[in-house]
Amino acid sequence: MRVTLETLAEVAALHGLAPQTLERVAQSATLLACAPGDAFYQQGDPPAGFFALQTGRVKLYRHSGEKAQILAILLPGDCFGAESLPDDAPCPWTAEAMETSTAIYLAPDRLRQLMAVCPDLQVALLELVSSRLRQFVTLVHDLAFRDVAARLAAVLLARVEAEGTVTAAGVQIRRAFSQQEVAAMVGTAREVVYRTFRQFERDGLLKLSRSHILILDMARLAEVARRETR
Amino acid sequence: MRWRRFQAISALAGLSPDCLERLAQVMVRREVAAGEIIFLEGNPAHGIWFIAKGRVRIIRHSTSGRIQAMCMASAGKCFGGCPLFDGEINPASAQAVDDVTLLILPAAESQRLTRTDPHLARVLLTVLSQRLAHLARLSEGLGTQTVACRIVDCLLAYADHAQSPPVVLLTHDKLAILAGTTREVVSRHLARLEANGLVRLGQGRVVLLEIEALSASRPMDAACVAAQIRRARE
Repeated sequence: MRVTLETLAEVAALHGLAPQTLERVAQSATLLACAPGDAFYQQGDPPAGFFALQTGRVKLYRHSGEKAQILAILLPGDCFGAESLPDDAPCPWTAEAMETSTAIYLAPDRLRQLMAVCPDLQVALLELVSSRLRQFVTLVHDLAFRDVAARLAAVLLARVEAEGTVTAAGVQIRRAFSQQEVAAMVGTAREVVYRTFRQFERDGLLKLSRSHILILDMARLAEVARRETR
Repeated sequence: MRWRRFQAISALAGLSPDCLERLAQVMVRREVAAGEIIFLEGNPAHGIWFIAKGRVRIIRHSTSGRIQAMCMASAGKCFGGCPLFDGEINPASAQAVDDVTLLILPAAESQRLTRTDPHLARVLLTVLSQRLAHLARLSEGLGTQTVACRIVDCLLAYADHAQSPPVVLLTHDKLAILAGTTREVVSRHLARLEANGLVRLGQGRVVLLEIEALSASRPMDAACVAAQIRRARE
């Protein structure tokens, strides 16, 4: 399917591009759909190209065997995929659709051609890679210095910031994640996540329902998220 | 400064003499002693730092003073470029591991040159992408893997693969900060690897005797390790 300039205008990361670059991107890009559980690309694949998520939700994760670490949850407007191209390295992680998702897609050879003639596209990619790098530094910091409770609190706050909704009872987030996925975001086992959720409930920080997590005390949850181990 | 000085810096290999000449006009040289801090997390970025000699580690501190390394960059590579394209504030600190010689491309020049010189932008994109892949592996290591596995990851990542057999020039203390553990744990695991004939230990060095057996613990990354070794030996 053809990608229009209007479609591209929804991608904040591309706002800095010159009109003629956007025109070229629109001509070269296609739309790609992915069913839940399918991957746009897998860890270890050859360079995948550039993706800008249009609808749906995608998780980036690394795994060895059974165990996975989720690196990021992407929402519409977020970009991914270009990081393995400059180096011609295998994809460093898997990008998997968590629900039916569509993405604006530039194939690797198209992306290479465009990068060679559009310096502003390279700068846009530098900005994308840099902001992802900053996010990963925070992730490593949390994994190294914070315990499971603090990391779970941080994961919940990040979801609130990305997609929380305000209700009369407090801020709530949709439970669009399995407990296994939350465990893979936090970097622990599912049982530990379950226990920590129960502890948070007992402490009055939040309330779990079948479809939502209601945050009752944002300030204390933020405090827990900041706590570092000795 | 003559551009030929840059020949030691592999991150700049492939740039045209013209581009190197331009860089030579604006880069500033700085010597930093081992252990000294080069820049601090939270401070505004000065520019992109290229390493002519020595090694630099990028670190984060915990509130109680513990240190976790994000990565270690060696001679020929660059670091510190990320804030120039995102937020202007250093996401982590940089510390000299050895006595180092650095060449700084000041922030304003970095911004200007990456927008006008596609080669330089490409070089930076490559370095930042490699760093991203490294941090992804480190996150996975910290979140899902055992300490033993992270120590082996570090040995493979920081070995000089141009040598045969490859050698890691790091003390147990420095390995511990890279792997996210303590010196005692590193020493214990290295002793076990030595007893199994996989490595040979010396003062401040680990010789990797069995690369294949060492990389077998992370089959998904075996191809990456192989590519790294191939590049080093070219």
